[in-house]
Amino acid sequence: MTLNDWIILLLAMAIPMHVILGACAYLILLERKLSAWMQDRVGPNRAGPMGLLQPLADGIKFILKEEMMPGHINKFLYVLAPGITCFTALFAFAVVPYGPTSSEPGVFPFIIAPNVDLGLLFLFAVGSLNVYGIILGGWASNNKYSALGALRASAQVVSYEIPLGMSVLGVILLAGSMNIETIMNQQIEHGFMGWNIWYQPLAALLFFTAAMAESNRLPFDLAECEQELVGGFHTEYSSMKFAMFALGEYVHITTLGFVLSCLYFGGWHFPWIATAESAYPGAWAVKVLVLLTKVFAVLVLIQLLRWTIPRFRFDQLMGLAWKVMIPLATVNVLMVMCFKQFGWDPMWMLPGSLAIFICAGVVGVQSARSGRSLAAAA
Amino acid sequence: MTTWITEHWRLLLPLALGWVCVWLLMPRGPHRSRALAGIFGLAGLLAVKFYWLPPSGPLLQDIFFLTFAAMAIIGGVLMITDHNPVYAALWFAIVTLAVCGLFLLNSAPFLSAATVIVYAGAIIVTFLFVIALAQQSGSAMYDRRASHPTLATLSGFLLLGCLMFTLQEWGGQAAAEGGNAFLKVPAGTTANLGSVATEDLGSLRSVGRSLFTDYVYAVEIAGTVLLIATIGAICMAPRRSQGNL
Repeated sequence: MTLNDWIILLLAMAIPMHVILGACAYLILLERKLSAWMQDRVGPNRAGPMGLLQPLADGIKFILKEEMMPGHINKFLYVLAPGITCFTALFAFAVVPYGPTSSEPGVFPFIIAPNVDLGLLFLFAVGSLNVYGIILGGWASNNKYSALGALRASAQVVSYEIPLGMSVLGVILLAGSMNIETIMNQQIEHGFMGWNIWYQPLAALLFFTAAMAESNRLPFDLAECEQELVGGFHTEYSSMKFAMFALGEYVHITTLGFVLSCLYFGGWHFPWIATAESAYPGAWAVKVLVLLTKVFAVLVLIQLLRWTIPRFRFDQLMGLAWKVMIPLATVNVLMVMCFKQFGWDPMWMLPGSLAIFICAGVVGVQSARSGRSLAAAA
Repeated sequence: MTTWITEHWRLLLPLALGWVCVWLLMPRGPHRSRALAGIFGLAGLLAVKFYWLPPSGPLLQDIFFLTFAAMAIIGGVLMITDHNPVYAALWFAIVTLAVCGLFLLNSAPFLSAATVIVYAGAIIVTFLFVIALAQQSGSAMYDRRASHPTLATLSGFLLLGCLMFTLQEWGGQAAAEGGNAFLKVPAGTTANLGSVATEDLGSLRSVGRSLFTDYVYAVEIAGTVLLIATIGAICMAPRRSQGNL
């Protein structure tokens, strides 16, 4: 490798790393502002114009705050836990494309690790290690609330990994690859109607839901439910260690936004302005901007959902994973298998997905009604 | 007897050193001579390294191999000797990750990623779950004191010695026949047509092709066994409607 290659490699790693860490700070501000607007408040508005310097103030406060350590804790694991959360969240970004990817030497790659054959599997493998941070943090901090939060988190994350993996199986079958770049580029070649959302809308919904549950966001944040568990697994954490848990969560949902855009919404593709043919000067910047806009839209959707859907009860949460999402994902994979095997027109996948969704809804309502009538008879 | 020992001292020496290390590390009350055990363990690892060194490759690959292998062995020893079950589970996770590193070095990324997802991501998490539920107040008696340390370690290392000896004999034979493979296709059978790779398929596709051609019966039987186990688990689970929850 020449010096030039090394510089490109370092830049390809350093730029997304710093942009994400910076963006996370402003995502927190955006979340506070959005919450405020949705609740008819003003939100943070003191630090800087319109409160734009609030993340800076928060950061300084987190760093300078006193390091509180509760007594009788397992010190090593207590300190290790936020580190694991942060590390796995950032590590998973290695295989996520953030622009028009290329693996030619001397070209900026727009992905940290290009050409990983098992990109999606790598993403899930690293993501599945994320739960260690939560379990160890909850267990080590010598607090019953923390331990309960950690127990909930482990059950939830292990359960939701199954629908998460099964929902992308359809896309993998359609593309014949687990490489995120390949899946993205195949959609781009086929233009706007090639986006996977037209063929796998149900899978996209399942993936989005399961990934939200994996990252412990509301309405799935049973692990840190304030009314019952104070703060859940991070009850005993303060200052920078608490900030690292929050950072891990935000990096996680940012990665979710990138993966969702790349798998189902055509990556950096947008009709007319950023297509496979567009070669005008500065096209790469437009492509990156298109992708970032999609990611931003996903993130805003996640933050709006936070104040739209109330938190689940724990049995509802597990029921959603095991009784709704896993069967739906299985039926979806079966549908894709039939389309591939018999060579049907993939155009019919959209009505097929909608039909599956409606059938599931009807079955759910009917069984709930018969359950109620049984209970009434008894 | 003496000639056998002098012939095989390179196998026996690391085993003996390793046994002393594990025996010293076994939990027995508050005092354990960790430093002495560490010295014995390192000596054993070095003795293994000199004899069981893999065929030397590029420097970086050798460094990675030795790091992963040492991590796996040290993690394994600490996993069975640590008297805190949470730490033992974490050492197990480290062993799994180190072994996954070895898989990656041998160009098996699918196996590696699948092992991380299944073992590190789900099974050890379940262990931690159970441990955190079961051990609310301090460590139990049986965690602080091993019940039969000498017998247990002796039988373990006897088994390990037999395994290593057999593998060594086997490897020597295979090398004499001109191949280094432990598993070979029997001479009388022709290879399955579907499994013969006509082009380079990449790791994922070749794993899939092999699973559904060469090992299709094994995969189907494993699937059936898992299905039966699932049905059994559903039958045994307590139900609110039957009043046994």
